Amino acid sequence: MKSIFTILFCLLFAMFINGQNRYLTKSGAINFYSKAPMEDITADNNQVLSIIDADKGKIAIQILMKSFLFEKALMQEHFNENYVESDKYPKATFAGDILNFEAINETVSKQKVKGNITIHGITKEIVIDANFTKTDDSILVDGNFIIEIDDFNISIPAIVSKKIAKRIKVTFDFNHKPYHK
Amino acid sequence: MNRKKIILVFIILGTFGGFFGYKMYNKPHIDVLKSSTEISISANKILDEFSKDETAANKKYLEKVILVKGEISETKIEREKGVITLKTNDNFGNILCHLSTEATKKMSTFKIGEIVSIKGICTGFLMDVILVKSEIIN
Repeated sequence: MKSIFTILFCLLFAMFINGQNRYLTKSGAINFYSKAPMEDITADNNQVLSIIDADKGKIAIQILMKSFLFEKALMQEHFNENYVESDKYPKATFAGDILNFEAINETVSKQKVKGNITIHGITKEIVIDANFTKTDDSILVDGNFIIEIDDFNISIPAIVSKKIAKRIKVTFDFNHKPYHK
Repeated sequence: MNRKKIILVFIILGTFGGFFGYKMYNKPHIDVLKSSTEISISANKILDEFSKDETAANKKYLEKVILVKGEISETKIEREKGVITLKTNDNFGNILCHLSTEATKKMSTFKIGEIVSIKGICTGFLMDVILVKSEIIN
């Protein structure tokens, strides 16, 4: 199952190699935040890879789960070992279309991005609102959305269920630069 | 007499348990500088291993403290933290070393073309091998 998605992703990725008009960032930032009765949990990942094919209006994002850094080491350990099982599923991915990409310009505008997000081996189609700004040498994308943990087979043991929210707020911030190779 | 002893034992156990739980809950992250290097490798070799067999390389390197030696091809600041790129023979893939706050302060003393050894925690492979919490060891 995992190999199919890897191949699919590589195919999408390979399509980009032939494109002329690509923008890329290797330092995209993603933060997730969980607010629960007992505790607020937050983690940051500043090594997110994101590529935009400006010719086709497509975006592909790859995220290393072990790059999510928590303030508490024990939380990071639980996150990796028990919740997202990052040894089995080291990456989360998103691949999709920026609807109405041609409308994006130097004035920030809200656009919809529709695609497939894969976390913990489960793929779901989602539509996300994001703020886009495009200049000659950058495409800025930022926004936030909600993830339901149950959608991705992430099980939280009852004993800590008061500590972790079922709905996690994900915030992202990417600054893509032109990519020629 | 016996009952009092039992209660006392429980209190002592409870205190130890609470203390232990508190310590675990607040246990510190790996201190990259203090921990012994688990693996010492060249930039070329680690990228090669990830390119050839990512699953095997993941098993070997993920979450380990690695000392990578290579030539600096780029240094930059992203979100107030330094990132040093170590080049490899591969045209596409490098080693991206995301520095700690302390190492970021030292980054300006290093130049492109210099050979450095960087110690950090490996989080995996996207287009490059990625290290976080990295320190410059030279």
